[in-house]
Amino acid sequence: MPSSSEDLAETARVRRNWLLSTPALVLLALGAAGPLLIVAVYSFLEAGEYSGVEWRFSLDAWFQILFHRDIFDDTISLADAHLTIFWRSVKLSLLTTIATFIFGFPTAYFIATRAPKQRALWLFLITIPFWTNLLIRTFAIMEVLRNQGILNTLLMKIGLITTPIQILYTDTAVLIGMAYVYLPLMVLPMYAAIDRFDFRLVEAGYDLYASRWQVLRRVILPIVKPGAIAGSILVFVPSLGAYVTPRVLGGGKNMMIGNFIDLQFGQGRNWPLGAALSMVLLVIVGAALLAYVRVSTKENPHG
Amino acid sequence: MKKLLTSVAALATVASMASAEGELNIFNWGNYTNPDLIKKFEETYDVKVTVTDFDSNTTALTKIEAGGHGFDIVVPTHSYIPIYVEKGLLMKPGIPEMENYHNLAPQWVDVDWDPKREYSVPWQWGTTGVAVNTKAYSGDVNTAAIFMDPPAELVGKVNVVPEMQDVISMALMYVGGTPCTTDKTMLKAARDALVAAKPKWMSMDYGMTEKMSNGDVMASVNWNGSTFRIRNNNPDVVYGYPKEGYIVWMDNAAILNDAKNADNAKLFINFIMDPENAAMISSFARYANGITGSEAFMPDDMKTAPEIVVPADLVAAGKFTGACPKEAQDMYTAIWTELQK
Amino acid sequence: MTDTIAVEAKSARKTYGQGTEAVTALKDVSVQISKGEFFTLLGPSGCGKTTLLRLIAGFETPTSGEIWLDGKDISADPPNKRPINTVFQSYALFPHLTVAQNIGFGLEMLGRPRKEVAETTAEMLALVRMESLAGRRTAQLSGGQQQRVALARALAPRPKVLLLDEPLSALDLKLRKEMQSELKRLQTETGITFIFVTHDQEEALTMSDRIGVMSAGNILQIGAPRDIYTSPANRFVADFIGETNFIDATVDATGATLSGGQHIDIAPQRIAGRSGKMTLALRPEQLRIVPAGHGLPATLTHSVYFGTDIHCHLALPDGTELVARMQAAADGSAAYTPGTQVGLILPPDAIQLLED
Repeated sequence: MPSSSEDLAETARVRRNWLLSTPALVLLALGAAGPLLIVAVYSFLEAGEYSGVEWRFSLDAWFQILFHRDIFDDTISLADAHLTIFWRSVKLSLLTTIATFIFGFPTAYFIATRAPKQRALWLFLITIPFWTNLLIRTFAIMEVLRNQGILNTLLMKIGLITTPIQILYTDTAVLIGMAYVYLPLMVLPMYAAIDRFDFRLVEAGYDLYASRWQVLRRVILPIVKPGAIAGSILVFVPSLGAYVTPRVLGGGKNMMIGNFIDLQFGQGRNWPLGAALSMVLLVIVGAALLAYVRVSTKENPHG
Repeated sequence: MKKLLTSVAALATVASMASAEGELNIFNWGNYTNPDLIKKFEETYDVKVTVTDFDSNTTALTKIEAGGHGFDIVVPTHSYIPIYVEKGLLMKPGIPEMENYHNLAPQWVDVDWDPKREYSVPWQWGTTGVAVNTKAYSGDVNTAAIFMDPPAELVGKVNVVPEMQDVISMALMYVGGTPCTTDKTMLKAARDALVAAKPKWMSMDYGMTEKMSNGDVMASVNWNGSTFRIRNNNPDVVYGYPKEGYIVWMDNAAILNDAKNADNAKLFINFIMDPENAAMISSFARYANGITGSEAFMPDDMKTAPEIVVPADLVAAGKFTGACPKEAQDMYTAIWTELQK
Repeated sequence: MTDTIAVEAKSARKTYGQGTEAVTALKDVSVQISKGEFFTLLGPSGCGKTTLLRLIAGFETPTSGEIWLDGKDISADPPNKRPINTVFQSYALFPHLTVAQNIGFGLEMLGRPRKEVAETTAEMLALVRMESLAGRRTAQLSGGQQQRVALARALAPRPKVLLLDEPLSALDLKLRKEMQSELKRLQTETGITFIFVTHDQEEALTMSDRIGVMSAGNILQIGAPRDIYTSPANRFVADFIGETNFIDATVDATGATLSGGQHIDIAPQRIAGRSGKMTLALRPEQLRIVPAGHGLPATLTHSVYFGTDIHCHLALPDGTELVARMQAAADGSAAYTPGTQVGLILPPDAIQLLED
């Protein structure tokens, strides 16, 4: 059956569109899907004797993630060490997210309520830390927290303490460092949300007998929630894979997922396990993003 | 404008030099190569040298195995030399026939990892022991108990560098075993000792040259060269050689099989066996080098440094550890994971 | 008598800014608004009417003077402590809540039992005829529907006073007319004191019990719509409330003499013993056009057809421009073509005398 000329034109148009988007698709395939595929494939191989992989199929890596074969009596149990490390990373990421929200929300609120001319300056100041390398920022925090550092010296000079407080190499230090490093990622989307917020609603809230706290909780927060969620995702995701900050400020006594993956690729010489762990991390991040999409579409069905 | 033209001209010069015949690409540990040494070699042989850094033996090996790296010379730790050889990555450049071969100190000629020195020559060697600030603890420092069972004065003030290989090997020797063992009783004892000691540690971190100099850390598993630099900043810090066993290591320069500038690489291998040049290597990174007669060209403080001159009664406690076989390595990793979980 | 007063402003003054940049939006305004009254603050934008409203609501505190409610000084109370609710010009509905949740918000904040909140919300939804849209988000509503929700939300806590800040300005004409009668109905049904702010004089005249005309931070005149319309206190009020013709004249005991020398009779009760240079004010519908040769001579410059009536623009010999309004169908006004010479009759008892 001969197709009409309209059908032909439609086919040509579809083909042209595909052709035009080819460069983007190729780039996506090579840049995103390709490396991911390699990691996925590696997780199903055997570890090489000294480094790299042997091209033999094996489920060892995936088995090792969840189960632990005792090196001493060969009994198989749940890999509690791995779960402990994962849980520590997730917990730290959650705490970091909460901390950045507690400090980021008032900061964003402050900036969004300045005169428009001043806002640009404040935003500019918020982005300044991005200009320097993460490692340098982390070492700067270390300089503040260490026993002979700025904070302890100051507290001793004032006379509040007589011996330095051990902050460096504690979970507190890691939390402070992470919150500092990721704060801008919370402030910027929160600012965007508060900037769009109609402050006349605050007056409406007061008018309807809401206290300051109720206005914050019942009016402002629900409306800027999408910004808070976006900020939380932006903070939570990189926190989960954080490597440098926990290592430098935490003293390296306890591993995060990032350090654990590094161990497999480096000193541990077990690339398949490293690859499998990376995939698990990816799944956790993917789940977090999916939850975000779910929540945000449910909240706002028409936009 | 004139400045810009000059820089463009300079760039052009660099580019033309890079494409010229006289080239040499060295792959070495970061902050380990004396720039004066490179300058001297460049001037002597009219060769343009490029030094690229790596931060661990595994990354270096991985990169070289992948191919297309363009390096001529690599400087792995002794334990990795057999791996390179087994994988066929190194060439035999005829080292014994080289002009400066006779300068090799006798004890560094017939070594386990490279009998007769067919593949590699010494770059530097050192030890992994403990550094202690005597202000905090004045007892015996020649023991691994400094970190395996810290004395009360050091509890909460000890650091352990996160070098899995060195730390577990030292722990094994501390409990009476040998490095890279697969003896499960020993491994278990080492693990239990490490896990029990960990709460008394302050951190597991690098960067002790700085942190022990300024007094943030009072004791640490540490390298001798680093401790030497610490003592120069802070005279209270001493280096201890654990009598239960400490780690001796040597980094060695070797030529890669696929080197594009093999002739220049051979010149360089011969060049660093010259005592004066070897002394330049040592005076930069502060480790001994293994070339006879180089002491004469070294700074005075290095000739008697207790971090470099091993006390006679403790020489025997030093152990070269090879790269562990996969089975032992997996147990090391399992112990390490449990330690840091 | 004070127990019949709902809201009172006592020399309320509001100054924004400091030093040379200071702007006084409200200049020592005093006004008493009775319980159950529909009181309108009328004036052009920037006259201070919204500032006075915000002082009553509590969004601003007076620079000096006091705001009283039910015989108590509430000047220092925050808005959430005042039994006063506001219908905002922008409605300011909560976009994250449904219609019903918006209406129940105030009661919830007052900590009323869940049951009471639900009942009152249902009652309010019925009052503004929005029962079917209770579960909708406010963004899905039309302007008129949003208006009703805003009203219901402000009425739900049964405030002592309801403030309405130009609530109808965003609606189209037809809807506005509808809402005007709706508002009047709600006020009658609830018996709540309404304070209504508008710049639309027609709106003010049709809805209010009393009007306060404001200009430049002052209340110029307070009175019932009819009084304000028929007896404006000054030229500003006369001009702002409806259309008015102004004629400069010299007044004596018998009437007024125009600049062209013509004499006009004015009723003695209107003159009330005054004399000297004054302005005569006359509503367009009070002017009568007669054939030339009677009354004041004038020239018809042009006429504008409005359907029910026609506005004839006229010029006196001295150049003063006047407007006369007449019923379109009643006479042969169509015959008055531009340039026609006519006569004007100014009824002596309709002329207002204004001292500038």
